[in-house]
Amino acid sequence: MQVDIRTKLLIVAIFSVLALVYQDPRILGIILLLNLLTVTLFRISFNIFRGFKKFIYMYAMLMIIQSFFVKSGEPLIKLGNTYLLTTGGIFYGISIILRFLILVGSGLILVDCNTSELLLALVKLRIPYEIVFMIQMGIRFIPVFINELQNIFSGIQLRGVDLRKVYKRKVLRVYISIFSPLIYSVWLKAEKLSILLELRGFRKFPTRTYYRDISLKKLDYVVISLSLIVTVVLVYVLRGL
Amino acid sequence: MAFISLQGVSYTYSGRKEPAVRNISLNFGQVEKIAITGLNGSGKSTLAKLILGLLKPQNGEIILDGRPVGKYSLVEVGEKLGYVLQNPSQMMFNTSVYNEIAFGLKWRGKSKNEVHHLCKRYLDLFDLWDLRGELPFNLSEGQKQLVALSAVLALQPRYLILDEPTKSIDTFRKKKLKDILQEIWRQGTGIMVISHDIEFVAGFNGRRIHMAQGEVVEDAGRYKD
Ligand SMILES: Nc1ncnc2c1ncn2[C@@H]1O[C@H](COP(=O)(O)OP(=O)(O)OP(=O)(O)O)[C@@H](O)[C@H]1O
Ligand SMILES: [Mg+2]
Repeated sequence: MQVDIRTKLLIVAIFSVLALVYQDPRILGIILLLNLLTVTLFRISFNIFRGFKKFIYMYAMLMIIQSFFVKSGEPLIKLGNTYLLTTGGIFYGISIILRFLILVGSGLILVDCNTSELLLALVKLRIPYEIVFMIQMGIRFIPVFINELQNIFSGIQLRGVDLRKVYKRKVLRVYISIFSPLIYSVWLKAEKLSILLELRGFRKFPTRTYYRDISLKKLDYVVISLSLIVTVVLVYVLRGL
Repeated sequence: MAFISLQGVSYTYSGRKEPAVRNISLNFGQVEKIAITGLNGSGKSTLAKLILGLLKPQNGEIILDGRPVGKYSLVEVGEKLGYVLQNPSQMMFNTSVYNEIAFGLKWRGKSKNEVHHLCKRYLDLFDLWDLRGELPFNLSEGQKQLVALSAVLALQPRYLILDEPTKSIDTFRKKKLKDILQEIWRQGTGIMVISHDIEFVAGFNGRRIHMAQGEVVEDAGRYKD
């Protein structure tokens, strides 16, 4: 299903808000189901979830640990007079995971959009171009930053210096010492970029035209209305729970 | 036995159709002098990164000093080999030229005195001592290259891999570099130089490997052990 990116943004916004508003794992379960249904409708592959396999244990641990700190509902495990695990704790743990899955699922709706379309959508939503441009550069600089860090770490290791084993107590000093050059080198890159922008006449003319265009079609209006209706109905039905 | 041995090694970058390195089998002795040449994009830097274990080959095997490269940590590779990247600024992460040289020495356990002594000696090689307080990022391209070279030379590795070491370097220091490499080679250091610089490679006078489209097309002056 090919819809406008703004439609997708709206749907993502709805899911994110719902995931944050509700706490009950049953409701979150329903939202997650709807979320997965939407993802399927948009024909996006679930491959991305595979990458999260590694984290499953971590989340399971987090869930268990978190659930020990919430002391509501019926006690399940008691040690003397202190409740170790309660139903409230388990509920809380499960909601956290469900929320996380919903947020990832919403992200999935956007993965197949390219960045320039996304930015164009923001422009059309009347967000000033300078700000959109900053977001774009921010997105662009994340990999630069990561790359720079990786380079530094392989540089350190290739000089035969093992940060993990030998110098445990002094390792903090090394981190501090590489931090400022890291920031500086990324900053240099940013400075170069701004000079390039000037040279290429960034913001020389007040209006900017776009090669691509995005427009809302009939399908978008249908999808938007449908999402809003479903949301309202859902909120109404769930009111009692 | 060969110090570095590649058997049927191929590597394709993700998202690429053509392999950057294809089916390469080579043996390098520990005290060999090797120059790798080839056009832009012929796979020279990729080959170096494979040897260092920075990239993992999809096919074939790379043995470094008797063990598959994949079995070493990057640190262990760093102890066996000295490596200067094609882009020297990617290797700089210190707040001064002096610290750039001192870093490896210091954290590998040399005393303060030794560190100072070695820094002075290796910065003097290319007349960089006066720049010791400068921020490495603010140096000229050639100076960066020389700092990166000195930093690796100061660690006195058993084997050196230099990717385009003469890039941005003036004629005078190129000659100096050639002499230094010749000297440490005589003292038993293996050297692999990747270079476009025909003059430099000719003067280097070692085994010459020419690459084209990821393959070795010429291997001359081979070392026998
Ligand atoms: N990070 C990368 N991702 C994808 N492809 C790459 C990457 N690095 C190199 N390549 C490709 O692999 C091939 C070999 O590149 P390599 O850097 O090994 O060439 P080279 O012989 O070192 O060239 P040069 O003389 O320009 O340094 C090229 O076609 C290049 O486009
Ligand atoms: Mg190269």
